[in-house]
Amino acid sequence: MPLTHRGREILRRVPGGHLRGTPAVGCEIVRHEELCVGCGTCARVCPSGASRRGGSFDVAQLLDAPEGSRRGELGAALRVLMRHPPEGPIEVPERVTVYRTIVHDAEICLGCGACARSCPAGAVEARPPRTDVAQASGRDQDT
Amino acid sequence: MSGERRIVAFCCRECAYAAADTSANARTALPPSVRLVLVPCTGRVGPLHLLRALADGADGVMVAGCLLGQCHYREGNFNAVDRVAFVRRLLESVGVEPERCRMFTMSAGEPPRFVAAVREMDRVIAALPPLPRSGDTAPAAGTTDAAVAGMGVA
Repeated sequence: MPLTHRGREILRRVPGGHLRGTPAVGCEIVRHEELCVGCGTCARVCPSGASRRGGSFDVAQLLDAPEGSRRGELGAALRVLMRHPPEGPIEVPERVTVYRTIVHDAEICLGCGACARSCPAGAVEARPPRTDVAQASGRDQDT
Repeated sequence: MSGERRIVAFCCRECAYAAADTSANARTALPPSVRLVLVPCTGRVGPLHLLRALADGADGVMVAGCLLGQCHYREGNFNAVDRVAFVRRLLESVGVEPERCRMFTMSAGEPPRFVAAVREMDRVIAALPPLPRSGDTAPAAGTTDAAVAGMGVA
């Protein structure tokens, strides 16, 4: 069921608040790197510190980025100039904030999905654990 | 198009552009290769501006801003310094000379410094071979070898 803006606001403030069918923890976090703009919002909202803004950037990500996106445009310009495929990740200066690779550590991740909810680019997906999906859909059918 | 050098200079309105204006009023000749682009602050210049300029036909790009710590918007030029450094690393990682992108700082009252910066940039670019682009026909000899070597690394 779609939530109102206010409902979503409240949900955000409640500790452990989550949408029905989306467990508060235990989701599988899937990152779509080609959509990521590297803004670091996920790193800011992450309660466990599993998502971090890395200090380096993989140049190949620019070439994979979809056309029309900010990264894609940079990649298109780079492709014109390119003499050989990019050599590994490069160090990013401190004040360049958006061209960074976000590091997601699945070991520490709680699977709360805060990153997926906050991601402005829709690059993070929180997949609920399989059993819970089955239960949730079962419940929905009963009611 | 070939044979002619083109350098795009992004100039801060508060300092470098004012310096350029003063030097022009004094009838100081700038290298004909330079094209000035007025920006409100060098903090407005992003990696895409610099890279797109190079991709679209410039042989070099320079960013001319205020002296460090004297930005009229407090820290715009610090952002520019880091972005220029980032673009240089990007260029380096794909085998383009990083010297093609450079940052200069000066105050509004230093037209000679601006002229010196532009001449310096022109001299550096003149010493470099022409910048090949993927749209160009017949890649230069050695490009294929470099590509193969690069693939081995990646």
